Amino acid sequence: MNAAWTKKISILLIGLMVLLAGCNFSGKSSTESGENKEGDKQEEQAEGKSENVLNLSLDNDIPDLNQVKTTDAISFAVLNNVMEGLYRLDENNEPQPAMAESYEKSEDGLTYTFTLREGIKWSNGDPVTANDFKYSWLRSMHPDTAGAYASILTDYIKGGAEFAAGEAEADAVAIEVRDDKTLVVELIQPTPFFLGLTAFVTYFPLNEKFVSEQGDKFALTYDSILYNGPFVLTAYDQAKGVSMDKNQEYWDKESVALEQVNMKVIKEQSTALNLYEAGELDKVYLSSADVDSYKDSPEFNTETEFRTYFIQFNLGKEPFQNKNILKALQLGYDPEVLTSVVLNNGSEPAYGLIASDMAGVEGKSFRELQGDVFKPDAEKAKELWEKGVEELGKTPEIELLISDDTVSKDTGTFLQSEYKKNLGIDISLDTQPYSARLDSMRADDYQMAVNRWGADYNDSMTYLDLWANPSNPFFRGNYVNEKYKELVNSAAEDADNQSRIEKLLEAEKLILEDGALGPLYYDGLSFLQKPYLKGLVTHPYGASPDLKWATVQ
Amino acid sequence: MKKYLFFRVINILITLYIIATATFFLMKQLPGSPFDEERLSSLSEEQRMEFYAKYGLDKPLHEQYILYLTNLVRGEMGDSFYFKGQDVSGLIASRIGPSALLGFQAVLLGFTVGIVLGIIAAFKHNTMWDFSTMLVAVLGVSVPNFVFAALLQYYVGLKMGLLPVAFWESYSSSIMPTLALSLIVIALIARFTRNEMLEVLQQDYMLTARAKGLSQFKVIYKHAIRNALIPVITILGPIVVSLLTGSLVIENIFGVPGIGSLFVDSIKVNDYTTIMGLTLFYSAFFVLTMLVIDLMYGVIDPRIRISGAKE
Repeated sequence: MNAAWTKKISILLIGLMVLLAGCNFSGKSSTESGENKEGDKQEEQAEGKSENVLNLSLDNDIPDLNQVKTTDAISFAVLNNVMEGLYRLDENNEPQPAMAESYEKSEDGLTYTFTLREGIKWSNGDPVTANDFKYSWLRSMHPDTAGAYASILTDYIKGGAEFAAGEAEADAVAIEVRDDKTLVVELIQPTPFFLGLTAFVTYFPLNEKFVSEQGDKFALTYDSILYNGPFVLTAYDQAKGVSMDKNQEYWDKESVALEQVNMKVIKEQSTALNLYEAGELDKVYLSSADVDSYKDSPEFNTETEFRTYFIQFNLGKEPFQNKNILKALQLGYDPEVLTSVVLNNGSEPAYGLIASDMAGVEGKSFRELQGDVFKPDAEKAKELWEKGVEELGKTPEIELLISDDTVSKDTGTFLQSEYKKNLGIDISLDTQPYSARLDSMRADDYQMAVNRWGADYNDSMTYLDLWANPSNPFFRGNYVNEKYKELVNSAAEDADNQSRIEKLLEAEKLILEDGALGPLYYDGLSFLQKPYLKGLVTHPYGASPDLKWATVQ
Repeated sequence: MKKYLFFRVINILITLYIIATATFFLMKQLPGSPFDEERLSSLSEEQRMEFYAKYGLDKPLHEQYILYLTNLVRGEMGDSFYFKGQDVSGLIASRIGPSALLGFQAVLLGFTVGIVLGIIAAFKHNTMWDFSTMLVAVLGVSVPNFVFAALLQYYVGLKMGLLPVAFWESYSSSIMPTLALSLIVIALIARFTRNEMLEVLQQDYMLTARAKGLSQFKVIYKHAIRNALIPVITILGPIVVSLLTGSLVIENIFGVPGIGSLFVDSIKVNDYTTIMGLTLFYSAFFVLTMLVIDLMYGVIDPRIRISGAKE
């Protein structure tokens, strides 16, 4: 019997060992964190952090580090710190020279000539050349290799759309490599925010030789990518996260203080908070349930994003032909109550369409120039509603389309109660999964809906363009106003930024006065950040955060 | 025996085929597509169709179905839509390790502790031992494991600093998730074992064994446990399958890079190939475990003849 038992137990043990071998604990970091943890903690409390190591979390798996194809914020967060475009956004979201040292713009605002910096190198020591940009941009547009972000190039670069549709050869795309250091790009129309675009992931360069060597394996592991940014990856596991070290080949490595950065996947917000408390993370985003307990902490702060939530009224449906009913629903709720009581997550109430801090002209933001254009007014709303009902001869049925996530449902319930309170009406909610809601809106099968739009670039055009032309694939709500259309379309062709912004300011005012949209809030986030962490730059759109200037001393 | 196995394998293949078919058509009823909806909405209808065509999603449903089955027979599960450029079998292989380790440890711990507790409770029937063991069992069944996990993480991980709060970096990372997972196993097995033991202890052959003058240990080990374990084996199957294939909640709480959350995430983002791959993987694992358990009955209880009554 003893022999039999020994055998059974040894089989179990062997099984356990096989499993242990197969479950990839990372050997390197385990010894480090195991042995040094106690010491670290004590030193941290004494004098901030001893090492130049930053620890951040990612809230989901990393889907894809192939820059020409990837579309999600998590991959962007990694790529933004290991790669670099012609320009890089600073803490005020202003583009600063990066791979490029300077540029010249032609008088009509259509041709950009970039001069590349001396001494810029890939992480293997090869120089970064103008051709690396051309190669990458063409790859991002080519029908065989492109991803869903191709339009961020093809919308601006002349000949790009035809090339992407397979109707033109690569020669027809207006990207010219004059020499190793000079890149000339011709645009379709004046684009004052083009420099900002060159800081975006899809505009990063690629080394042709390296990419063709890697073939299908490109960007699947940390050593199948070449880096040209402030950091290089030293570990990459989609389910665990990444580690990066300072890039010794980076042109501006003197400005990079951090020696190492870890970004680890933690899907559960409460776990991330525990890790922050244990000193294993240096910044953590809070769920709205946790906001109240940390509101008074000196480590608490909020940041807003270029993402506006708004009610899209479908003007093609009953009863919105009646202007009074429409305006009553637009004025009949208070966004302030929504953000401070219901959401409580750092979002900012919206009294316009364009998020605060979005670029205007001459250092002033669009919002500063415009002020509030939308003022909720319960009394006036009630008055307009009654007038509208009289005109219609009956009380119309109202149905609001929302997505089925918690925040959308809360917003829906909030609007329901506000309309009940202010207008004395019951509206019904049509709750659908996120992608089903988008399908319904695409099919024009809704009355009014809670919609959102995140900016692709730092200019109010990204929003206002949406309602200017019914041919726009994202045109929703059947808003038709010739004056609005003319304002936006002439702004698009205007090379003078001052008069361009003036037209856009007027357009925003007009569409809100017409009641096509009901502003709700600018999306925001609450977070805790350790006091010793400084210089961590986040951007309200595109690729964020930027760790180049971060310090943990 | 061979004949029995042969029919069981045929049976398994048919089951898997039905599951694959049902999942395929149900999955296609999900709204949306595997691509980033917000980005895709900014494309024109023509561009969208081109995009779908690239992945063969523009074909009629039955053609997609036949194509999928043909590839499956060839052993190809296809590339994930979400984790671009990675094939699904590789994806499952890279995630199954941590989940399987946690599950294996939880089953081992749960069974050992559960059986011991069950036996103690049965032998000390209606004493404090019995009551306290059953209290643990009731708590274990009624307290959800994520509550237990969160408490462990907060007190043992954060407050006492004994074990890592989360992440998957050394063997000690696996201790708390294992404990959290095994709680319900301990509870179920302890209750089951206790009840079965109580019944077995009433049997005549127990009296015979004692009358023969066997030692207490031999009576328990040779006669009581062996008979009490048969029903316990029955619930082993579902427990093993559910634990070894990963737990979404526990893995998320402890930041374990396992397979549990992969399934839920793949459904959220309409990652068709991954949904199919994981469903088939789970189903295959389940039916195979059931087969093994059926075979085990024969070993534990010689009265059960799997080859059928004819022999």
